[in-house]
Amino acid sequence: MKKLIASLLVLVLAFALCVPAAYADAPEGKVFNIYAWNEEFKGFFEKYYTVPEGVTVNWVIVPSDNGAYQDALDAALINQADAKDDDKIDLFLAEADYILKYVDSDFTQDVQALGVNDFSNAYKYTVQAATDANGVVKGVSFQCCPSALIYRRSIAKDVLGTDDPAEVQAALSDWDKFNAVAADAKAKGYYMTASFAETFRPFSNNCTMPWVDADNNLQIDPQIAAWMAQTDEFIKNGYTLTAGVWDDEKNVQMFADGKTMCFFGPAWYFNFCMGNAQDPEKGCSGDWAICEGPAAHFWGGTWLLAPAGTDNPTMLADVMNTFINNEEVCSKLVSDEAQFSNNQAVNAKFAADPNYGSAFLGGQNDVAVFSEMTDNIVWQNHTIYDQLLNEGLQNSLQEYYRGSVDQDTAMENFYLYVNEKYPTIVTP
Amino acid sequence: MNEKELRRSQKGVSYARWGYLFILPFFLAYFVFTFAPQVLTIYNSFFENYREGLKQVGPNFVGFGNYVKLFTPDKSGTINILKYAGNTLTLWLLGAVPQILIALLLAIFFTSYRLKIRGQQFFKTVIYMPNLIMASAFSMLFFTLFSNVGPVNQLIQAWGWSDVPIDFFAYKGTVRGLISLMNFLMWFGNTTILLMAGIMGIDQDLFEAANLDGASSVQTFFKITLPLLMPILVYTIITAMIGGLQMFDVPQVLTKGKGMPDRTSMTLVMYLNNYLGGSKNYGMSGAISVIIFIITGVLSLVVFRTLNKKD
Repeated sequence: MKKLIASLLVLVLAFALCVPAAYADAPEGKVFNIYAWNEEFKGFFEKYYTVPEGVTVNWVIVPSDNGAYQDALDAALINQADAKDDDKIDLFLAEADYILKYVDSDFTQDVQALGVNDFSNAYKYTVQAATDANGVVKGVSFQCCPSALIYRRSIAKDVLGTDDPAEVQAALSDWDKFNAVAADAKAKGYYMTASFAETFRPFSNNCTMPWVDADNNLQIDPQIAAWMAQTDEFIKNGYTLTAGVWDDEKNVQMFADGKTMCFFGPAWYFNFCMGNAQDPEKGCSGDWAICEGPAAHFWGGTWLLAPAGTDNPTMLADVMNTFINNEEVCSKLVSDEAQFSNNQAVNAKFAADPNYGSAFLGGQNDVAVFSEMTDNIVWQNHTIYDQLLNEGLQNSLQEYYRGSVDQDTAMENFYLYVNEKYPTIVTP
Repeated sequence: MNEKELRRSQKGVSYARWGYLFILPFFLAYFVFTFAPQVLTIYNSFFENYREGLKQVGPNFVGFGNYVKLFTPDKSGTINILKYAGNTLTLWLLGAVPQILIALLLAIFFTSYRLKIRGQQFFKTVIYMPNLIMASAFSMLFFTLFSNVGPVNQLIQAWGWSDVPIDFFAYKGTVRGLISLMNFLMWFGNTTILLMAGIMGIDQDLFEAANLDGASSVQTFFKITLPLLMPILVYTIITAMIGGLQMFDVPQVLTKGKGMPDRTSMTLVMYLNNYLGGSKNYGMSGAISVIIFIITGVLSLVVFRTLNKKD
């Protein structure tokens, strides 16, 4: 009898010990599919993340213009349950403008359940953005994107008499001062900004109402109306150009012979998008500096979202934890990639370092400036319609600023566009 | 021989069934890839069917609701689909009329036994080459060429014709001109080759007889070439019109889908495409497809009847 009980106990023990081991060895998918709209994160991933043995990473890159990336993502997510394991999305990137659409749906899953629990280092608004209406966190961000006013030092010296960031900030601390300086710049033959939509984000980020109200009526916030009024004045007086934010006409202003004083953008903007300014022959690296500008705002930022039904949950959690909590990786992002990481501890270290400075910014410590700005950033009044409505409004108004149509017609065309893209929104 | 054997030998060998077998693949492919989708599109156009974000709305049966929405005038009183149909026709005519006229002229020159143009092979190759370029690449090229900081504006300013860059994309005339120019360049080579083939199919004896009778080249053209070329010309015009009514790639890439200025270069298919991106509105886009089909059918019939009047 005793022998029987003893042997039974041994069997049960052995079983209990083996089973967790079996789970730990359960194979995850061999293919890790990542969806993104550009190669920015791919660069960081390939440099700083070690992919586990036997797993191949497959990048699906679709540019986000005109909503093409969202369309591709939607198609893949809706198909996730029926897709083969190797084809399932395992991680996708999303921007602030459309993150709500995915966070508030059943196509993303709780990252805390996957093992991503430590958000103590991340900036609050980045966690807020990825949290759904029930408080479940569906993703993390590896970038915090406070957006600064980037100015040409040489032009600021000519117009304001100084290029010191603190003094420039004092001269541009609100919109009235900004508009007054624009007139001064024009008098000296400079443009204040290089695109009619340059100042859109500083205004739109501080809106008090979302794009649509509870009854799905389209509403134009007073801040947006203020932007339209400012741009009207700027175009009439020649303080800015009719180019769009990503157009060539604006980009050529970044060369050394450009005549524009101010640009707006976060760290990724002068890292990824100001190639002309960094050009060794025709550029002017070092002739730039940043300050907060008239209105604190953020622009973009990339969130890593967890799709439901992924077959690589452990690797997914590992990638997320690496990019927000791994001190070494986050430090490299700041020091080698000129990014503003989503890790407050790491950023504070760089902000306090007197020897840290960006060569592009003439030695200025941009992390210090960004760290101060993040306190003023709010995440509020976002909708799932943001990307296309922001783009649509700018595109329609561009025709007015170019002189092709009057403002009423431009707004009519915007409403037509809204009806085509979002049939449920009621336009005035 | 008895009756049965007589009948059998009179029938001979019938190859008819082989003919049916050979044309079967085309009809199968047509049915699966063209006819069935067409019927489905017409079916879809009677439903309200779109996506809001990731949520699917419909398909709910709405009868002619989508068509009513299409033909309801907007706040300023314009019926937008008619405006886009007008744009499409204008853009097509601006490109097709020079295309066919110049192609006809070139075809006459190349096939004229009197002119004997040298280097014909070289010319024929060169005029056909724009057709080989992808329309989207061609449009991107023109977009960059004519942008505010592009080469054309730089030349204009260098030659002193203007102090400020000319915004080619702010004026209805220039945008439509550019689109028509691109369509012309891409297709006139193709049309020339087709018309040349048509002219070479006309019996040379007729031209010799006309020459002997003292007919001038203009008379030869209008009395001999044109009437005998009519079948090919009708074919060219109808295919050009079908392609023109479905014009999409050139204006879409040139204006980045906006049809600027003020939607005056937005074609019917660009309008249809707007409903497909984002909202995946199969109901409205189905309705637009049916309307394009009807317009194309009616116009083709009109062209066919008018030009084949003598028959």
